[in-house]
Amino acid sequence: MNWDNILEFARGPFFQVALFIFIAGMLFRFTRIVLLGWGKDRVKSKGSKIGGVAKTYAKAILILPFLPWVKNTFNRNPIIYIAGGLFHLGLFIVIFLGTAHMLVWKSLIGFGWFTLPLPIVDWFAAVAIVAMLALFINRLVNPVLKLISGPAEWLNLLIVFVPMVTGYMMTHHLLQPYEMLFSWHMLAVDVLLIWIPLSRISHFMFYFFARTIHGAQFGKRGVTP
Amino acid sequence: MQKQGVTRRQFMQMCGVMVGAMGLRVQPPVRESGLPVQMARGFNPITTVAHALQTKPRVPVIWLEFQDCAGCSEALTRSHNPSLVDLVLQYITVEYHETLMAAAGLQAEQNKEDAMKKYAGQYVLVVEGSVPAGIDGNYCTIGGRSALDLLKEAAAGAAAIISTGNCAAFGGIPKAKPNPTDAKGVWEIITDKPVVNIPGCPAIPEATTGTLFNFIVFGKLPELDYLNRPKTYYAQTIHDRCLRRPFYEAGKFAESFDDEGARKGYCLYKLGCKGPTTYNACASIKWSGGLSFPIQSGHPCLGCSEPNFWDGGGFYQGQSAPLDRPTIVTAGAAAAVGVVAGAGIAMANRAQKGRGDKTEPSEGAKS
Amino acid sequence: MEAKMQIATQTATQTALNTFVHETGAWVASQLEACTRCGMCAEACHFYQATGNPEYAPVWKIELVRRAYEQRFTFGGKMRVAMGLDKPVNDNALEAWSKIVYEACTMCNKCAMVCPMGIQLGPIIHNVRAGLSDAGLVPEDLKTAVRKQEEIGSPLGATDSVYDQRMEWVADEWEVELPMDVKGADTLVVFSSIEIMKFPENIAAIAKILNKAGEKWTLSHKAREVVNFGFYEGNEHLTKLFMQRVFDGARELGVKRILVTECGHAYDALRWTAANIMDVPNVEITHVAGYIWQLVGAGRIKLKQGALDDKGVITFHDACKIQRRGGHIDEPRELLKILAPNAFREMTPNKEQAICCGGGGGVIAIKEADPQRYKVFEMKMEQANRVGAKTVAMFCSNCRLQFTDGVQKYNPPFKVAGMSQLVADSLVE
Repeated sequence: MNWDNILEFARGPFFQVALFIFIAGMLFRFTRIVLLGWGKDRVKSKGSKIGGVAKTYAKAILILPFLPWVKNTFNRNPIIYIAGGLFHLGLFIVIFLGTAHMLVWKSLIGFGWFTLPLPIVDWFAAVAIVAMLALFINRLVNPVLKLISGPAEWLNLLIVFVPMVTGYMMTHHLLQPYEMLFSWHMLAVDVLLIWIPLSRISHFMFYFFARTIHGAQFGKRGVTP
Repeated sequence: MQKQGVTRRQFMQMCGVMVGAMGLRVQPPVRESGLPVQMARGFNPITTVAHALQTKPRVPVIWLEFQDCAGCSEALTRSHNPSLVDLVLQYITVEYHETLMAAAGLQAEQNKEDAMKKYAGQYVLVVEGSVPAGIDGNYCTIGGRSALDLLKEAAAGAAAIISTGNCAAFGGIPKAKPNPTDAKGVWEIITDKPVVNIPGCPAIPEATTGTLFNFIVFGKLPELDYLNRPKTYYAQTIHDRCLRRPFYEAGKFAESFDDEGARKGYCLYKLGCKGPTTYNACASIKWSGGLSFPIQSGHPCLGCSEPNFWDGGGFYQGQSAPLDRPTIVTAGAAAAVGVVAGAGIAMANRAQKGRGDKTEPSEGAKS
Repeated sequence: MEAKMQIATQTATQTALNTFVHETGAWVASQLEACTRCGMCAEACHFYQATGNPEYAPVWKIELVRRAYEQRFTFGGKMRVAMGLDKPVNDNALEAWSKIVYEACTMCNKCAMVCPMGIQLGPIIHNVRAGLSDAGLVPEDLKTAVRKQEEIGSPLGATDSVYDQRMEWVADEWEVELPMDVKGADTLVVFSSIEIMKFPENIAAIAKILNKAGEKWTLSHKAREVVNFGFYEGNEHLTKLFMQRVFDGARELGVKRILVTECGHAYDALRWTAANIMDVPNVEITHVAGYIWQLVGAGRIKLKQGALDDKGVITFHDACKIQRRGGHIDEPRELLKILAPNAFREMTPNKEQAICCGGGGGVIAIKEADPQRYKVFEMKMEQANRVGAKTVAMFCSNCRLQFTDGVQKYNPPFKVAGMSQLVADSLVE
């Protein structure tokens, strides 16, 4: 197999198509929701809605990922908290603070930024991979997850896992020639870009709807969200 | 060689260097190594090479140049060991070389024809420069004949074909977008014979001479990879052998040319180095007799021994970045498609909602 | 008979779907899209924790709405159900879900606090109830109570005459003044049937407090029931009807404020839901849990410092609809700081993270729900026992009903108390 050709395809036309589908798809999902109709909330507020929103974002981003026991239910099922949290942390660090990825952003949006040294990013990538494995096993054994997981949930795990693992292998030149691993990584990333608007991985966009509504509704009642 | 004052010792030394350059291994004789009796004779490639060079007749070489800059020939003149002079005077007979030969015009062409007839099936054809296929190959003509024709004719009687430089191997610079001449590498045109690719811009001279020598000594081509490149020189990437690799690992990068990081010799990945995907011997054999190579001198690797390196996403763009940046127009079009489709569906959904019995939904989720 | 049932259930599915679709606008849809199927919500649900039944996971409770939304509003959903990769909404599903959302959910909304996305699952479960209610698939016990409230004004059978009798008796027995139908009063006080029938001492206590504070308050014949079983059912028409009675009473008497007594969901309905589904008079709607502290803060009543310090450890049970969903979290603690500065201990978890009593949302009215309801009460007992509580105080009489019932069954080392009573007993004369 000519991996150079495959790599050129995966980094070139296939990437363009995947990015097109990603942009169109995400905006499709966004518009479909936003234009569905927002009834006015006529209930008089007791506390501040905006205050509630600010509090819930601060709590969700700054406190809970690092002090999960603040949420009392942490004791019940620490696996989802720890593994889910570490996975997202690793993901963000690799995608935004990894040098190789920062250069991708730079080529797409025109500017770059400070990045972390490879061994540190590498460590987080490994942690994220292990966390994904833990989440996978959890989804197999947890009774609630068994009930609510369909083919889409398994595909989500797979389609996110492959780019992470191939990226890790690529960085370490593990087992196979570099251009082969790079090709696998790019193909997997392209598939991921196409899959995101078709699946629940788009939750990173809808997160902001749910979190804001949550903060507002709790703030309205004067309760800490 | 004796006439030129080369001693036997110097000659053997040179053979030793060639053996090293070709990557041949020495197997010591039984007494010293403890190897079994069957291998009693041992294999000392140095003597093999020396013997071959002493006894075999000089190999005729026809060197064709097409859409080229003669850079690979230039580089060859700086070959350290063997030097081009040694090569030409002792081991090969150059029957035709546009840039180097003294003859010109119809005489030169006639000499080439004669050599091809006289040494049919024995000569080595070396090609430099890409072959255009556009307008029936007439973007490049020599003596009124297209490069395409000349190549096919020369290849027919060649014992071995070597493409030196990226242009002859993969199309090189003439093949860069939009490839107006429909430039091709030799092996895209000659498909019935094995073609050795020695890519690079230029090719490392020792790679070309080493491959020639392999043919001279053993009468066959060296082991090749999937792009027909000799594994001796092209089995590892620049990244694998790069002297700045520890800085890559430690995340110490030069951010711009001649900044503090650059002056400290940090990794050039952020400046667009294509080292990780470039297979060549620059980082080990280096250039100008082991003097230096681009990264060592502070310039990121261009990936010049890889196919389509000119269109590989920009010399100074990080290698991880996509090959093409989507234009604002494309991105805008994608966004528009998404918004319009989403709005359409939303309207249809709202109509569906309105078909319920109630007038205004209470939408408990507002609370 | 069978053919009739068949037609009836087909219409049921269609009716339910219509309601789900109608109730799913951008508020609901954006939250449904945010769900990542992580299953964290189950860890917050006391019914799941107590029984281990995965069908009690909140994400599973809203499954019907999710199916309706995806299968009616999205390409992906339509394709998946056509290919058999997703289940449709049908009569069997409706029957199954009726059991789950009415008998194993108290609408406490703790799930929303645990969801990493912040999805408001409680209100969406309310939408599921709305669809099931329209389809006529409500547990019989609950339906009976709702019908009673519709017909005679109280789910517990407190008719007009019963009401009058009870009020007279309370006024007499506890020697308190209970002003009735006073035009121009400031505050309309509306009691719940639970207090009227089961905890009449509450009525006396609240009356005593308001009288001591010199409050110009009144009861109303028209607005004599604050409880809203239509709200439990998710029946919008009846929810509105029951609240209309209260608002009519308020308008008739020209009051400035409606004071909800010790009832939780009534406060949720009147204060936090009414304005979005009907015309609400321009009055303040408040709850005793907050109002009593306001009176103390304004100096209109004084409490005996440490009045409850000598009765062993006292702890406070947060009622989901008054604390987490109502906002009156600090006021009870301020009161207990005065009444039991040394004896008060917080249970864990508490305040907005507190665990539901297990009897709210109509659950205590449904006999079939008893097994899981008692299992949840075991969790509450464990909480109280961990702090060594001798008294568990609360501001909601439905919680009090659940606690009283549970105490009777299990005989734990603590007693149950209503906060208004504790306050009334500790007033400085």
